[in-house]
Amino acid sequence: MRTDDLIGQLSANLEPVKRGAIGRLLLGTILIGMIGSAVVMLGMLGLRHDFSGAMMSFGMWTKLAYTLAVAVFAFFLLERAGRPGADMYKPALLMALPVLYIVLLAIIQLSAPGADKHGLMMGHSSQVCAPLVLLTALPTLAATFWVLRRLAPTRLTMAGAIAGLFAGGAGAFVYSFHCTEGAAPFIAIWYTLGILATTALGALLGRHFLRW
Amino acid sequence: MIAQEAQYRDWMLAALMGDAGAYRMLLSGLTRHLRSYYARRLDAGAAEDAVQETLIAIHTRRATYDPALPFTAWVYGIARYKLIDEYRRNKRRATVPLDEAGELFGHDDAQEAIAKRDVSKLLAKLPPAKRELVKDIKLDGVSVAEVAARTGLSESAVKVTVHRAIKSLGEDVKEGGDADR
Repeated sequence: MRTDDLIGQLSANLEPVKRGAIGRLLLGTILIGMIGSAVVMLGMLGLRHDFSGAMMSFGMWTKLAYTLAVAVFAFFLLERAGRPGADMYKPALLMALPVLYIVLLAIIQLSAPGADKHGLMMGHSSQVCAPLVLLTALPTLAATFWVLRRLAPTRLTMAGAIAGLFAGGAGAFVYSFHCTEGAAPFIAIWYTLGILATTALGALLGRHFLRW
Repeated sequence: MIAQEAQYRDWMLAALMGDAGAYRMLLSGLTRHLRSYYARRLDAGAAEDAVQETLIAIHTRRATYDPALPFTAWVYGIARYKLIDEYRRNKRRATVPLDEAGELFGHDDAQEAIAKRDVSKLLAKLPPAKRELVKDIKLDGVSVAEVAARTGLSESAVKVTVHRAIKSLGEDVKEGGDADR
């Protein structure tokens, strides 16, 4: 086809784009992914047995705040990863905030007089925590990839890593409702490891599955 | 700031509201830059395909343009992605600069048209038979064997003729080619 004809066809088929269309598509898809993660968590792992009492505990809120902050800040990056030419430097700096929060909290708890350092770091589920965060994150990762392909990611490994970071944060958030750990050092180590594993998986898959 | 930013952005914003006229102007304008951009990096057939693929990508992904961001950077991001995609398909390793929207908007195919005009002026100085040989082999990429078969000359005669013609043109340019500029 001649390029001029192509231009004619494309402009003949032009339809207006609704403002905020991309944002709505992103949010809607991600919500579906997180519902998938919740189904995996409830179906395969189950809600923590002390759920009603735990919702009032400091440990529960520590986890929820950390993982939700990771997911929200990663979402800003995700939105930019799908837009060619968008600057990702500033929103990437924001990722330091949740990390700083959990690391400071961990240091405070570890340096308290008489603290059981080993117990605070290892809890009782350190073996399974990171793999289960990754497992819980998978439905959200799939949904995030699906929606990112419909935008226009131009750096695929980077976009995949960001999708993984978001899915890791969201997956860890959902996993928090199963896991009974609440010590900041444990969360800083094992939850972060699970989130990083999801990020690495996203980076590996990006160049194969984000092409458009 | 890229010189065309304001004009292209206006067209794009109008196009996002459904203005087909502005959209056509935008795509035609971009095509000139894209053609030159790909022509300098791909061979002729692949270059025009890449232009069309990029236009289609611009069309199908137009919702991803955020009006708060520079439009030229958005287009360059897509053009660069399609170039890398093309390299990847041909198994070529390549690094393509990330923040060089000027690479795309600093050129358009008008400059190439000027270069072509200069070449044809120069070729006009050759006798017609030689001019055909040079044009076939050096510009159109016809193989020496094909030209030899068509003209009835031996392959080495074709090579020698083209070589001498180019040499004489080179001397021409050195001596006084500047006079007719």
